Amino acid sequence: MVIVENGYIPADLAEALKIRGEQTVIPYAGGTDLMVDAEDHAYLFLNKVPELKRISEDETYLKIGAAATFTEILNYPGTPEILKAAIHYLAAPAIRNMATAGGNVSNASPKADSSLIFYVSDTLLKLASAKGERILPIEDFITGRGKTALQADELLVEFLMPKKGLENYYYEKVGARKALAISRVAFAGLFNMEGERITRCAAAFGSVADVVLRFRDFEAMMIGLTLPEAKAVKSEFLAKYDQAIVPIRGRVSADYRKHVCMNLLEDFLTQNGI
Amino acid sequence: MSGKITFILNNEKVESNGKPSDRLLDVLRNEFELTGVKCGCKEGECGACSVLIDGVLANSCVVALGSIHNCHVTTIEGYSKTKRFEVLSKAYANFSAVQCGFCIPGMVLASEALLSHNPHPTEAEIREGISGNLCRCTGYNAIVHAIQKAAEEGNGLW
Repeated sequence: MVIVENGYIPADLAEALKIRGEQTVIPYAGGTDLMVDAEDHAYLFLNKVPELKRISEDETYLKIGAAATFTEILNYPGTPEILKAAIHYLAAPAIRNMATAGGNVSNASPKADSSLIFYVSDTLLKLASAKGERILPIEDFITGRGKTALQADELLVEFLMPKKGLENYYYEKVGARKALAISRVAFAGLFNMEGERITRCAAAFGSVADVVLRFRDFEAMMIGLTLPEAKAVKSEFLAKYDQAIVPIRGRVSADYRKHVCMNLLEDFLTQNGI
Repeated sequence: MSGKITFILNNEKVESNGKPSDRLLDVLRNEFELTGVKCGCKEGECGACSVLIDGVLANSCVVALGSIHNCHVTTIEGYSKTKRFEVLSKAYANFSAVQCGFCIPGMVLASEALLSHNPHPTEAEIREGISGNLCRCTGYNAIVHAIQKAAEEGNGLW
């Protein structure tokens, strides 16, 4: 551990959790968002903590250390295409070289490019403190715009991204330009079938409300249906989303963003034969 | 252990008097007087402050000093002493790729970062490689051509 004035540079996770439990510090991963304001905060520098940099996988999960950079995630051979697609449109190389998935999600912005993918894929987040660990779905971690369930003595340690069924994805980011754009609307969908029956019809909307939107009760309408049955309920399905999505006012009109959301959702269904 | 932030700056071990929360950009310009590192936006949008940290391109305006303890930092001042720089410099000159020049230190380091892991990039890869470096004179085509030329001329260097 190196301590310089109010900055802490831990050598490993145990040291990091100890400081996090004893001091009032802001966890610093990539810095690309924190340093825009560049205030004289007490930082806990996590960008070199080996346990937080690790990317690995087991049979069920891709495990992404919270301080792994987007470049590292992009270069990892086991990273699914849906996540790569989002990273490809996330900022520019210099930002991806520093920015981390942990930071992107912990900012709890509804525009966070990687959050959308973690929402649609039912990714779990592992949090740790000196006292122990807990695992939360991302929907329970992000509690509002800029708000998370992270306690003052905890750190976000790892993402557990379920590997199964990610191949057939739909992803669109609508922004003002190609590189470095902040999304106006982002949409991610995952569609799976077993035999003739739908087993997953997940849809997540970013940049629309205070948090990424996902409506599991609507999705449940499609589960177990055949494609012809799904076609029969398509308009009812779309109407539910049409009613539920109420974009907050932003730089771009709410009407426009609502329209784009619905177009993308319909295209997602159409592309999957519904 | 208490102390100061130390790092390797252009191949020389240095110690900074800065705070861990200081922007690396400010430390490089004000403490080490490396004014080739330009300040354009202070929010990671423009790339004028690009440096290499352990060989990786970074916007030094959104890097806190405390995050680079014991790292290698290369600025345009250090890079300009390399053979690779000579090749890039000549290619940029041949295509008149430098107009006002403000973006160029960052643009050259972005070129290096690209070529160091992709010695023969396509045009699309070049444009992506410099997508975080804004040129307000908008001389992008000349810069892209210069990087293509440098890749050819510097065959084997990268």
